[in-house]
Amino acid sequence: MTIASFVVKNALRNRRRALLTVISVAISCGLLVTLLTLQRELTIPPESEAASLRIIARNKVSLAQPLPSKQLSIIEKIPGVVAVSPFTYFGGNFREETVTSFAQFAVDPVRFKNLIVEGRIADGNYDDFIADRTSCFVGADTMKRYGLKIGDRMRFSGTFYPVDLDLKIAAVFQGTVDDRGVFFHHKLLDELMGNPGTVGTWYIRVASAEISNDVIAKVNDAFANTSAEVRAETERAFQMGFISMLGNVKLLIGSVSTVVVFTLMLVTVSTMSMAVRERFRELAVLKALGFRRRELFSFILAESFGLALVGGALGIFGAWALWTGIDLQKLTNGFLLYFEVTPRIMATGGVVAVFLGIFSSISPSIAVARLSVVQGLKTLD
Amino acid sequence: MAAEPIVVIRELTKSYLQGDLNVTALNGVSLDIQPGEFVVLMGPSGSGKSTLLHIIAGIDRPTSGSAMIQGINIANLNESQLADWRNQNVGFVFQSFNLIPVLTAAENVELPLLLTDLSSAERRKQVATALELVGLADRGHHRPDQMSGGQQQRVAIARALVTDPALIVADEPTGNLDAKSAGDVLAILQSLSRDAGKTVIMVTHDPKSAAYGSRSLHLEKGEITA
Ligand SMILES: Nc1ncnc2c1ncn2[C@@H]1O[C@H](COP(=O)(O)OP(=O)(O)OP(=O)(O)O)[C@@H](O)[C@H]1O
Ligand SMILES: [Mg+2]
Repeated sequence: MTIASFVVKNALRNRRRALLTVISVAISCGLLVTLLTLQRELTIPPESEAASLRIIARNKVSLAQPLPSKQLSIIEKIPGVVAVSPFTYFGGNFREETVTSFAQFAVDPVRFKNLIVEGRIADGNYDDFIADRTSCFVGADTMKRYGLKIGDRMRFSGTFYPVDLDLKIAAVFQGTVDDRGVFFHHKLLDELMGNPGTVGTWYIRVASAEISNDVIAKVNDAFANTSAEVRAETERAFQMGFISMLGNVKLLIGSVSTVVVFTLMLVTVSTMSMAVRERFRELAVLKALGFRRRELFSFILAESFGLALVGGALGIFGAWALWTGIDLQKLTNGFLLYFEVTPRIMATGGVVAVFLGIFSSISPSIAVARLSVVQGLKTLD
Repeated sequence: MAAEPIVVIRELTKSYLQGDLNVTALNGVSLDIQPGEFVVLMGPSGSGKSTLLHIIAGIDRPTSGSAMIQGINIANLNESQLADWRNQNVGFVFQSFNLIPVLTAAENVELPLLLTDLSSAERRKQVATALELVGLADRGHHRPDQMSGGQQQRVAIARALVTDPALIVADEPTGNLDAKSAGDVLAILQSLSRDAGKTVIMVTHDPKSAAYGSRSLHLEKGEITA
């Protein structure tokens, strides 16, 4: 026998308790990792740099109200505006799907090219998209998900608009924050709808982030007191408004995580002090045999550390395997895009587990330090 | 008696504060014990037998007076020195065996050796010798719950003598045993003092057990009366 095998035997002596401790630590660490991943997921989009250069202008009344196409020439002339394109949400269902998780937008292909600056053309040719009025420009994630290739056709049935689309894939983009969208010619939509002379929103790129507030004010002012007043805001603000129902998500997740970690501590701490308390007599015997406090501390620390680390590893890698293994994008209809459990998040979980191991051995160690051999021998088993 | 006494106790007192009350467990005990003696401590409950034994064994400290063991005043040792000292010089046998339930007999006996520099082969050899001495050479791989009380107490004796200490202390070692097992345990303790030259100090309530010793001491209200 060695000191190490003695510690292992001690840790596993009450198998059920050891198992319960490991499971509760595993579940809590897994939950913590999941929450941190969710928090990251929900805060990624606003962190795209290119997005802060873009403005979306919509009808002041509501998003569903269209804007007149003739506003284009006015917006174009506003100083600081580098590019502008109509940007109309089609919201159709792909093939036989009842809910389609990626958006389709009608744009002006030539103008739109100057708006998407962060992506790259992964396949096909953007000029083919410009040239063919019935073609579309598709995100790489969508291509991959449906196993599509250049030249394939994508059919959408309108939900918003009483028309259907039949588009030919001309080019594929990749490297934007959300590589799922499908873009097609606004002219096609206009034709199908009988040229109503309206667009959904305007997509505007400004020269620099510093002047975006200025440009927003000018766009708003330009149409003040007209029949179609607009409300312009940064793409970031627009997206945040979209997930405004998530409100103080960061705060919420933060507090839930804190509660999880706290509960986790209570569980492990109480398990460890239980494990030590029921062993008081034995620890007193060990002391009598010549084991010093230092050695008894290290037994306790090794045991709580071992349990916390095994539980933590199970929980952290379990969460990683789970979220890496299942297609959350499909499962949540695109609400969760990447849900990537990053090394940083896993490390955070690991730090919590390590801290837990140390923390839960504090109170038992104090108890053991105080324990006199004579008192310990008097405790009944 | 030619040899130096192994235990020299002078004016030892131990008192406890119980609430406002000062309880005197030992009241000026002086005592010499020679190497190889088998001293039996007797006396009514609460007379201070265990307290005296604990102080001699270095797991409790006196309120005043001195306890010199092999020329060392153990009151002067700090906690960790005292722990080392116990490991090398004292073997403990308790009334309720106090074996570690998750360890086998051999592992229990090996425990105090984990604190020494011995190699695992040397440890195994000493464990085997100790188990053989108590007649349990073939039980090394059994866990405590697979053994009778008498066997468990013999394992405990093996654990007490595996480090080859000069002093073995036993607090009512036969208190939980039937007559036959008690006889076995007492015979082993007797042979340790008689044949191996160990100094054995045993507390007991049973006059028949006392007959195994070489000397009996009677404690009454914290004082030695005979
Ligand atoms: N921790 C303590 N706190 C207060 N009083 C104590 C403590 N330990 C022992 N005593 C008191 O000291 C006295 C002697 O106790 P001790 O345990 O030495 O008696 P004993 O002779 O071993 O008795 P028994 O035969 O019942 O084991 C008793 O009056 C006891 O109540
Ligand atoms: Mg007693």
